[in-house]
Amino acid sequence: MPVPSSQRPRQVTGLRAEPAIARTELSWRSLGFDPLIDHYRVHAVRGARRPFEPDGANLVGKTVYPQLTHHVDPRGETWTYRIVPVSDAGRTARASDALVASSVASVVGTGLPVATIGDFDARTLEHRFAPAGYAQIPAAYPDAVVELEQGVDSPADAWPYLLPGPGDAWAGRKAYTARWRLALPGAPAADHDLAIWLVDTTRLGGTLRVAVNGAALADVALPPGGTRGSREGDATVPGTALVRSYHELPVPVGLLREGENTIELVLADGGWVAWDAVGLFARR
Amino acid sequence: MPRTTPTFSRREVLRAGGLGAATLALGISAPETAGAASPSDGSFGLGVASGSPRPDSMVLWTRLTRDPLAPDGHGGMPLRSYGVHWEVATDPELEHVVRRGHALAQPELAHSVHPKVTGLRPGTEYFYRFRSGTTSSTVGRFRTLPAAPAVPDTFTVGVVSCQAWYHGHFTAHRHLAAEPELDLVVFGGDYVYEYGITAANLWRQGVSVAPEHAAEVQTLEQYRLRYALTKSDPHLQSLHARVPAVAIWDDHEVQNNYVGGRSAYGLPDEIFAHRVAVAYRAFYEHLPVDLEALPDGPGSDITTGFDVGHLARFSLLDTRQHRDPVPETAEEQADPARTMLGRAQERWVEERLVDSPAAWNVVASGVVLMPVTEDRTDQWDGYPAARARLLDAMARSSGVVVLSGDIHHAVAGELRADVDDPGAGNVGVELICTSVASDGDGAPTDDYAPDWLQHDYVRLYDGRRGYLTVTLTPQEMTSTFVSVPWVEADDTAPREVLARFVTPAGTSRLVEA
Repeated sequence: MPVPSSQRPRQVTGLRAEPAIARTELSWRSLGFDPLIDHYRVHAVRGARRPFEPDGANLVGKTVYPQLTHHVDPRGETWTYRIVPVSDAGRTARASDALVASSVASVVGTGLPVATIGDFDARTLEHRFAPAGYAQIPAAYPDAVVELEQGVDSPADAWPYLLPGPGDAWAGRKAYTARWRLALPGAPAADHDLAIWLVDTTRLGGTLRVAVNGAALADVALPPGGTRGSREGDATVPGTALVRSYHELPVPVGLLREGENTIELVLADGGWVAWDAVGLFARR
Repeated sequence: MPRTTPTFSRREVLRAGGLGAATLALGISAPETAGAASPSDGSFGLGVASGSPRPDSMVLWTRLTRDPLAPDGHGGMPLRSYGVHWEVATDPELEHVVRRGHALAQPELAHSVHPKVTGLRPGTEYFYRFRSGTTSSTVGRFRTLPAAPAVPDTFTVGVVSCQAWYHGHFTAHRHLAAEPELDLVVFGGDYVYEYGITAANLWRQGVSVAPEHAAEVQTLEQYRLRYALTKSDPHLQSLHARVPAVAIWDDHEVQNNYVGGRSAYGLPDEIFAHRVAVAYRAFYEHLPVDLEALPDGPGSDITTGFDVGHLARFSLLDTRQHRDPVPETAEEQADPARTMLGRAQERWVEERLVDSPAAWNVVASGVVLMPVTEDRTDQWDGYPAARARLLDAMARSSGVVVLSGDIHHAVAGELRADVDDPGAGNVGVELICTSVASDGDGAPTDDYAPDWLQHDYVRLYDGRRGYLTVTLTPQEMTSTFVSVPWVEADDTAPREVLARFVTPAGTSRLVEA
């Protein structure tokens, strides 16, 4: 009697890419549930090289979802992608057609760092109370103001890994302020960039109000996050539920000055943000 | 000698999403000529199990493996089908075989098989084993349920939940498997956990895991691997071999705090559905459940019930798949239209409670039913109107016993007809089993204790690991809470009785014994 088996999965189609800061957002058409797809293998090689043959050496990720975020060098990169589905029985389909996609360069990769808080490494671990001591924040900052003076304070001493917001009952439902004081040796001659990289946010998302020396710079709309950043500090762990977000704002030259400058980040609404790093960058 | 032949309703065949009907049939029973078995085909490293007990039938389970923890989730088995023989006998040496059959272990189902043995005698002890090539499994044991209207003198159920393998040894299973009287074990949810296993949470001492276990479980191969890791525990295998098992799930079989088809971590529902589908499939593949539990994509039917003659009626609920979202306001929380079970399941359990001929009506819920605090919205506290409806149905029944878990604490309490009326009579009792391993050693009390002990209907609160046994007789129910002093260091902790309660038939009280 012939042994029946579930059918081979179909080839993935509809592969598309959304360029983003330091990453490429890939998505494709779901193959549904017949046969059940164990996972999709995402294969990629650097550069615009089509076609290429998928193998273990160019496997950059596995996902059960018909989408994957590929984190790449913040200087910006071009990759060529192909997707291979794997069924419940371990059967594979022909790889998808190749797609060439480029990420958006980050100022973290292209600029000259003037001052930074933390490392741009997708981890909260260098910050105060990380990775899970959020409950200590309200007592440590009863007036809901966090302050760090560049060159004097360290992230481990003065910059908690979470900045709570009005959506956080555990932190008193306050709009917390993170105040960063940094001295510049001279008046800048050109526009700068402010990079705010987050490891995670809450499902509430929110608004991060940014001001430089008292002047409003931007209201940053925060996307809904994974909410696990209050307990986990490393977004590079495979399969992490943390949802990183990247926000980079031009800072007009007129807003900065010689000597002390103050950058304020106020979580005006929504739930906490988990810092990866914050940095002021000059343009090359 | 009779051979069991699978029969499938049209609905079952249509529901076999992702698996051909023939494939499915062969996973349950197959002609002996199907598949080729050789002496080195596979072994039974994940043990055996029986489940879905009935007076005349039982589902047997095993999964062929060569390397149970192979990273691809296929247990080291080549991606082809293998024949598996099974036999059921009336003696532990299997000399008096009364049923035997053959099934195909196929890669579609991770080489698991679920043969359903029919034509058995009620209330009878049987022994079973599998064979593949020249390899035989350990011998398992089960007793079929008594048939109505018989009333057995006694029926003892073990209750366990929350098996975070990485948090500790399964000492509770070791003791439960050795209980002198045991007819059934109820797995009350969180059979596996999806979290990545790292140095931060690997509290089970004396073990190590390969790097692939560090990632959060999302794909089918990862869920299969996590079940394999969990089921590699010898004490869990002993428990499964000792008695039939029934199982409900909570959230961690998929993802922490997921609600219906919705992730708690922000993924769109249509995307999250892919993860639900593979998680439900892995649940089916690793438990001795009936065909009804075979998922159709991101949907599955694990709600089930059975009668122990006229002594007890069991109703096992799915409190995760059909519930409404977490309420965002107090008004939404109190909305009478909110559901925990979904309308169909709610009607089903109401009918079973109200129309029951049994002396005891046991309801298993993945989350706690009794009121604790309004902010515990993942429990029935988040669904007060639905709870009121269920309590009303319980009030029209008798001998109601709710078994739940989830909270990693042993709690016993009486269920009031009206949660807002201290003078209202009781409609049942709730017995909440603590975790087998989740949260490690634990402690007798902790910061959560005041939330529970503020209520005069709570009779016990303890935060150590362990299990629960419930012995039902026509005259009374005896519930025994067992704890083990430690689980992190090793599996040698002794069995300690934490508390014992008696509930006389016809009452809904917990009397400390």
